[in-house]
Amino acid sequence: MARGQRGPSRSYDKPVGYGVPTLLAIGLHVLVVVLSLVTLPQRQPADPESTSIVQATLVSTETTTDQAQRAEEARARAAARQAEEEARQEEEARQAEAEEQARAEAERQAAEERAREAEQQQAAREEEARRLQEARQEAEAEAQRRAEEAERQARLREEQEAERQRQQEAAAEAERQRQQEAQQRAEEEARRQQEAEAQRQREAEEQRRREEEAQRQREAEEQRRREEEAQRQREAEEQRRREEEAQRQREAEEQRRREEEAQRQREAEEQRRREEEARRQREAEEQRRREEEARRAAEAASQGLDRAIEGESDAVANARQAQEAANSFINLVRRAVEQAWVIPPGAGGGLAATVQVQLGPSGELFGATITQSSGDSSFDRSALQAVEAAAPFGELRQLPPAAQRDFRQFNLRFTPGDVR
Amino acid sequence: MNDSMSIPHLIMSASTVVQLVMLILVLGSILSWVVIFQRTFVMRRARAAHQTFEERFWSGVDLNELYRETPSEQETQGAEHVFRAGFREFNRLMAKTKSADAILDGVQRSMRVAWSREEERLTLHLVFLATVASASPYIGLFGTVWGIMGSFQALSMAQQATLATVAPWIAEALIATAMGLFAAIPAVIFYNRLSSESDRLLGKYEDFAEEFHSILHRNLQGRSEAGAA
Repeated sequence: MARGQRGPSRSYDKPVGYGVPTLLAIGLHVLVVVLSLVTLPQRQPADPESTSIVQATLVSTETTTDQAQRAEEARARAAARQAEEEARQEEEARQAEAEEQARAEAERQAAEERAREAEQQQAAREEEARRLQEARQEAEAEAQRRAEEAERQARLREEQEAERQRQQEAAAEAERQRQQEAQQRAEEEARRQQEAEAQRQREAEEQRRREEEAQRQREAEEQRRREEEAQRQREAEEQRRREEEAQRQREAEEQRRREEEAQRQREAEEQRRREEEARRQREAEEQRRREEEARRAAEAASQGLDRAIEGESDAVANARQAQEAANSFINLVRRAVEQAWVIPPGAGGGLAATVQVQLGPSGELFGATITQSSGDSSFDRSALQAVEAAAPFGELRQLPPAAQRDFRQFNLRFTPGDVR
Repeated sequence: MNDSMSIPHLIMSASTVVQLVMLILVLGSILSWVVIFQRTFVMRRARAAHQTFEERFWSGVDLNELYRETPSEQETQGAEHVFRAGFREFNRLMAKTKSADAILDGVQRSMRVAWSREEERLTLHLVFLATVASASPYIGLFGTVWGIMGSFQALSMAQQATLATVAPWIAEALIATAMGLFAAIPAVIFYNRLSSESDRLLGKYEDFAEEFHSILHRNLQGRSEAGAA
């Protein structure tokens, strides 16, 4: 008995250490810190939900809950998306049309160009032909001229020949006459002086021979000279012809070169045009592909948004119900705040301040802070004072509990521009 | 509440003096809680030990046996300590003097010393708790005042005195006060509770000492009568 009671009494004798209390104290503080950190992030995600905008202007009646705002936003987004879609389709159609037009234009231009080119080519060909013909004509004329010349020369030569013949004939005639005369004379002479006569005859003959010789020589000379002349002329002619030929050849060469040049240029032009065409086509293709991609991306985005919209539509429906219930409260708050608001005299129309209002569970004012200052401190102060004067908002308790939670924190936007 | 107004952010962005104040307050809070836990354990154990000892004492056991149960070199606590101190002195004086008054005086003196030791043991560190309880609000207030000074200095530099200019300063300044109160409130509560507990225990010890004294007195009275007869 005594032993049994002494057992526990031993443990009381041991002094209490500090290890366990220290651990407990530190644990307690860590717990407090963790709780304060854990509850804050829980509250923080709720903050964006409660950033609904309540405009405290007299005219504007845009008083929406966060859900309603989201619904409205979704609706606006949907409308915007639809409008965008339409605009895009229209744009596409317009673009397609424009493209079509541009293509037609380009085709027409190309056709025109081709026609023009063909014309040019035709003209060039005609020119060529004309030039060729001209050249041919020229050549013909030349040939004719040459032929004429030759004829003329031949005629001249013939005439000369005939002259010469005629002269020869005349000379022969004269000789014959002279011979007759001489014969007569010789017969007379012979009859008178055969010897003198013979001598004279011989002398005459000699002389005649010499004369004939001289005549022949002269004639030969003449002939030679004429021949030389002709030769020279021929040579000159030849020379000229050759020169002409060379000239023609040069000209032809020149022409050919020019033609070649033109051909080359045309080809280069053609090539360039084709390249240009190909490049344009490539570019157009590129453009089309890019547009296609952009369109596909936009379609994908819009599909995603559509899905989001579908998901949101339920929320929108819910929010509309909540909105109706909440609108009365928010209207009350708005009216109360508007009535309590003493707008500072200097406040211009451009000022706007957003006040975040935090309410307690029964509608009492926990805090009102300027979240977006107007830049005018007196204006901001007046807005805060208006909220403070309008509090408490006991109507909060009449709302459904879910809506109550949402209206524990909301924003009021003060814009005096519409107040008179 | 946006991110720049969250409590950790405010603490981290506070000025050095305010941060120092906060550090002191956190340390004070931790130490005061160490004391609170330790004292609570001590008090609970002392209460239980006292209850056990009283049951044992009043169970009709012989005092000599009770005294001999525990080796004399072992330290005892609470009422047992008082009892042992008084009984040891009683035994020693019984061997030396016949005067009942002298014996009782010596026993009473010895028991008062033991009681005083017990008081010291029970109220150990409670002064620190009292210090934290009374000083930490002032320390926190100092941090707050310092922070508000900073806020007004910042306000003097700003073009326009908007709430957004002073709000972070005041928020961080008020965090110092909050921490001071966070440290002080438990310290105050537990100081009161622990000191009353220790007072109650000490009162019990005192009662026990008186009772034990009366028992000894009764014994001596009987013996002196027997001696006289």
